Amino acid sequence: MLSFILILIAGAFFTGIIIRTKSVASGRKGPGILQPINDVVRLFKKGAVYSGTTSFIFQMAPTIYFSSVVMAMMLIPFGQSKGLISFNGDFVFFAYVLALGKFFSIISAMDTGSSFEGMGASRESLYSLLAEPAFFILMGSFALLTGYTSFQEMFAALHLGSYISYAIAILATFVLVMIAMIENSRMPIDDPKTHLELTMIHEVMILDNSGFDLGLILSAGYLKFALYGAIIVNLFIGMVPYPYAIPLFFVIQFLLAIIIGLIESFIARFRMSHNPQFIFALTSVSLLIFFGVLLVLGKFI
Amino acid sequence: MSAQLIINVHIVKNDLQTGKWQKTMELIYLRIENTTYFLIPLLCKILHDNFPGLYMTNAIILMYVSWATTILAVVLMCFIPSAKKSILAIVTVIINAIVTSIPAIQALGGATSDFSFYAGTFLGDVPIRIDGLSAWFILIINFTSVTGIIYGTGYLKAYKNTASKLSLHWVLFILFHLSMVWVTLLQNGFAFLIAWEIMSLTSMLLVIFDGHNTKTLQAGINYFVQMHISIVFLTIGFLWVYLETGSFGFDAFQTFFASNNNLWLFIIFFVGFGLKAGFIPLHSWLPLAHPAAPSHVSGVMSGVIVKLGIYGLIRVISYVQSDFILLGEIIISISILTGLYGILNAAIHRDFKKMLAYCTIENIGIIGIGIGLGMIGLGSNSPLLYYLGFGGALLHVLNHSLFKSMLFFAAGSVYQQTHTRDMERLGGLIKNMPQTAIIFLIGAIAIAGIPPFNGFVSEFVIYSGLIEGLKSDNINLISLLILSFAGLSLIGGLSILTFTKSFGTLFLGNQRETLPHQPHEVSRIMLFPQYLIIAVMLSIAFVPQWYLAIVGNLLSGMALVSHPIAEGFEVSSLAVYSKTLSHISLYSLLFIAVIGLFWMIRHYSQKSKSIIVGNTWGCAYVAPNNRMQYTGKSYSKPLGKMFSFMLIEKKRYPEIMAGEIFPQPRKYSSHYLDFIEHYLIDNAIRLLLTIVNYFKFIQNGRVQSYVMYGIVFILTIFILTLLNLVK
Repeated sequence: MLSFILILIAGAFFTGIIIRTKSVASGRKGPGILQPINDVVRLFKKGAVYSGTTSFIFQMAPTIYFSSVVMAMMLIPFGQSKGLISFNGDFVFFAYVLALGKFFSIISAMDTGSSFEGMGASRESLYSLLAEPAFFILMGSFALLTGYTSFQEMFAALHLGSYISYAIAILATFVLVMIAMIENSRMPIDDPKTHLELTMIHEVMILDNSGFDLGLILSAGYLKFALYGAIIVNLFIGMVPYPYAIPLFFVIQFLLAIIIGLIESFIARFRMSHNPQFIFALTSVSLLIFFGVLLVLGKFI
Repeated sequence: MSAQLIINVHIVKNDLQTGKWQKTMELIYLRIENTTYFLIPLLCKILHDNFPGLYMTNAIILMYVSWATTILAVVLMCFIPSAKKSILAIVTVIINAIVTSIPAIQALGGATSDFSFYAGTFLGDVPIRIDGLSAWFILIINFTSVTGIIYGTGYLKAYKNTASKLSLHWVLFILFHLSMVWVTLLQNGFAFLIAWEIMSLTSMLLVIFDGHNTKTLQAGINYFVQMHISIVFLTIGFLWVYLETGSFGFDAFQTFFASNNNLWLFIIFFVGFGLKAGFIPLHSWLPLAHPAAPSHVSGVMSGVIVKLGIYGLIRVISYVQSDFILLGEIIISISILTGLYGILNAAIHRDFKKMLAYCTIENIGIIGIGIGLGMIGLGSNSPLLYYLGFGGALLHVLNHSLFKSMLFFAAGSVYQQTHTRDMERLGGLIKNMPQTAIIFLIGAIAIAGIPPFNGFVSEFVIYSGLIEGLKSDNINLISLLILSFAGLSLIGGLSILTFTKSFGTLFLGNQRETLPHQPHEVSRIMLFPQYLIIAVMLSIAFVPQWYLAIVGNLLSGMALVSHPIAEGFEVSSLAVYSKTLSHISLYSLLFIAVIGLFWMIRHYSQKSKSIIVGNTWGCAYVAPNNRMQYTGKSYSKPLGKMFSFMLIEKKRYPEIMAGEIFPQPRKYSSHYLDFIEHYLIDNAIRLLLTIVNYFKFIQNGRVQSYVMYGIVFILTIFILTLLNLVK
C-alpha cells in the first residue's frame, strides 16, 4: 500500500522535474513542476474526437493501458513492506500485465488505419520485445543471488556488501533506467519533443487519441516512470527503516528524473535503425550482471 | 459430491477477507486429489463398489460400443441424404468422444483401466492401458475433435452438392478421431504403429480435401512422405527394443532402458515423434499442410495431432532410466530454438494460416522447455522441478489445443467469407465480423501468454520451473536455464508482435481491397464451438488450481510406475504453486475489476462531454486512401531485417534498364522462405536426387526387365543357399 501511494506521489512530480531540468539545461525558465498534471486534468475535462475508422478497441485501449500500469504498481514493494500483491514469481506477472497494456495500445494504434500510427505500433512492439530478455535476465539473476522469487523478498535480501554487488546494483540501475526510457519511448530511443509526425514511436501511436483517453495515456506514462524509479529505489533501500527510507525514495526518484532530463538534454536521438542494437546491448549488460552474480555466489571455480 | 465442491469454492471466496484462505484452499486441493470430479466417475465408483465384475469390464464394453458406432456410421453415411451426413458425423464423433472420455475421467481420478483384446494370431493379446497420461490426451483429443466437427459442418456448408466428397470426408474424420484416441491407448509397439499409420493416412486424406488444387496436393504429399519418415524411425525404435527384449509391449522399454545406453534409442524416438510434433529441423510439413487443409482439420491437426508427438515423447520418457540431465538439456536447447524459430517465422508471414502453423511450432518449443525441465527434475532428484516442468508442459498442451484450434477456426471463418489467406488484402473485418474478431482477439491474447487468459497459467508454471531450476549447483544448468528464461521472454514478446500484427491487419483499420463478396458474420454453428472453447479457456484461467491438481495427480502416478528414482516424489510439493496459481487467478479478476472501474469512470466523465466523429488524422494530408494503411508486411519488416540471416526474403522485380526512358508499369513481389527447409532439407534432397539419378536405369519401365530382376533375385537366393551362405 505504502509503495502504491509513494509511486502515485512520485508520478505526479516526475515528468515535471524532467521537463524543468530540460528547460534549465537549455537556458529557459520552464513550466512549473505540476504542469503535466494540470495538462492531464485539463484533458480529463475535455470532450473527444474519434475517427470513424476506429472500433471499440480504440475506445477500450487507453483504459486497459492505464489499468495495466496501475496493476503493475500494486506489485511493487517498498523496502520491507510488500506491495499490495506479492507472490512467488510476481515479476513474471508484472511483465505480462504491462504486456497486456502494450498489446492494447498497439492494436488501438492499428485501429485508426493510419500509416503513421501503424509505423509507431510496429516500432513499439519491436523495441519493447527486445527489452524483455534484459528484464528477465536481471530478475533471474536476482532470484539466483537471493534465492527468493518475489519482488519484495528479493529486494529485501539484496545485501550490498562486496564491491561486486555494488557493481551489480549500478549495472542493474542502468538497465532499469534504460528499460524505463524504452517503455516510455524517451531519448535516446525516441524524442518526444519533436513535432508529432516525426516522433516515431509512442507519441505517434497516440495521434488520434484525445480528451479523457489521452489524459489516461499521459498519466500512465508518468506513473510508468515512477514505477521503474520505485524498482530502482528498492535496489538500494533494502531493510532501511521508514523514516530514512521514505525521504530516500523521493531523493532517488528526484535524482533519476534529473538524470533523465540531462540525458534528454545532451544526447541526440539514435537513428531508428540503430535502436535494436542498442536495446539488445542491454541484454548483454544483464548478462554481465548474471556473471557478477555467479562470481558472488562462487559458482565459478 | 460435486455439490459439496461448489460450496467449498464459495467458502474460499468469502474467507479471503478473514484470512482463513489457506486452510480452505488445502481442503479443496485434497478433495480434488482424492475424489473424482464429475458425475460420471461418481457413477463408476458406485458401480465399482456394488458390481466389481461389471466395473472391470466396462472399459472394454465402452470400446466395443465405440467400434460398433463407428462401423454403423460408416455404413449409414453411404445411404443417407447429403444434408443429414454432417449430423450423423457429429453424432458419431460425440458418441465416440463420450464413450472414450468415461474411462479417461476415471483414470484421471486414479482408476487406471488395464485390459487387453485379442487381435489375431500375429499380434496376439494387445494390452491396453488408460492411465493418467493417456486420459489427459484422450480428453484433449475428444474436446478438440467435437468442436472441430461442429465447426466443420458449418464450414463445409458450401460443399453440400458434392455428396461423395463429403461422405468420404466425414468418414475419414470419424476414423481420424478414433485412431488418435487409439494411439494413446495401445501399449504394444506394433499395434501402436498401426494406429499411428491410420492416423497419419486419414489426416493426410483430410488435408487434401481440396484435391483439385495442385498446391494442396503437394502439401498433402509432403506431409505423407514426412509422416512416413517418422514411422520409419518409430519402427526402428520398436524393433530395436524387440530385438533386445523379445517384446513389443511398452513395458519392455523399461527393461531395455535399464540395461542399455538410454541416449540413442531416445534420440531415435525423439526424431520419430519430433517429426509429428514439429521440433526444428523436423517441422517443415507444418507450414505447408496447415494452410492447405480445411480450417476445421487444421484446427484439429494443430490442436491435437501435433500433440500426439508430445504424447509419444512423454510416454517414452516415462520409461527412460538414466541420462536425465543430458537428455533434458538437449530437449531444452532444441525447444528454445524451436520456439524462437517458429515465432520469428510466424511474425513475418502474410498467409494467416501459415502464421498460425509457425506459431504452433513456437508453442511446441514452449511445451518442450517444460518437458526438458521435468527431465532435469528427475535427474537432479528435485520433485518440484519434475512437477513444474511436466505439469507446465501438459497444461500448455491443453491450453494450446484450445486456443490454437479456436484461432484456426476464426481464421477459417475469415477465409470462408473472403476466400483469401493473404492478410494484406484484408482489413477492417471487425466491422463485418465482430464476433469472429473478438474470438480472434481472445485467442491472440491467450496465445501470447498474457493474463487474464489461460496461456499465462501454463507459461507461469514453466517460468516457475525455470526459476526453481536455478537453485541447482550445476553451472552449466544455471546458464542454460537463464538463457531459456530470456528465450521464453523473447518468445513472449515476439508473439505479441505477431498477434498484434495479425489482428491489426486482418480486423482493424479499413478494408484494403474491394472483395468480390462483402464478408458477413459466420453462421451460429461455426461460432458455437468457438464460444465453447472460450468457456473452457476461462475455466483454466480462473480455477487453474483444479487443472494443476489433475496434472499433478497424473504425474505422481507416472513417476511411481516407471521411475525408481522418483520414489519420494510427493505431489504435495506442488501445493504451494497450486496456491500461487489460485492467487493469480484472483489477481486476474482484480485486474479485470480495475479495468472495469476505470471504464466506468471514463464512461461517466464522457457522458456530458461532446463526442465528435471525424476522420483519422492524416498529418494534414487530405486525400488518404485505404491502400495507404500500414501493412502487415511493413509492420514486421524491421524484425525481418534484424533477423535477415535467418529469415530469407526473396524479392522479384525487373530492374529499370539503362535505355528505359519511359518505364512501363511493373510488378514487385517478395516472399519469405523457410531457412531450414530451403538450406538444409532442400539441399539434402537435391543431393539424394543426384545420387539416386545414377540408378535410374533400374526403373526403365520395361516389364521384361522387371521379370528379369525377379529371376535374378531367385537365382541369387538359390546359389547362396547352395553355397550355404544363407540359411
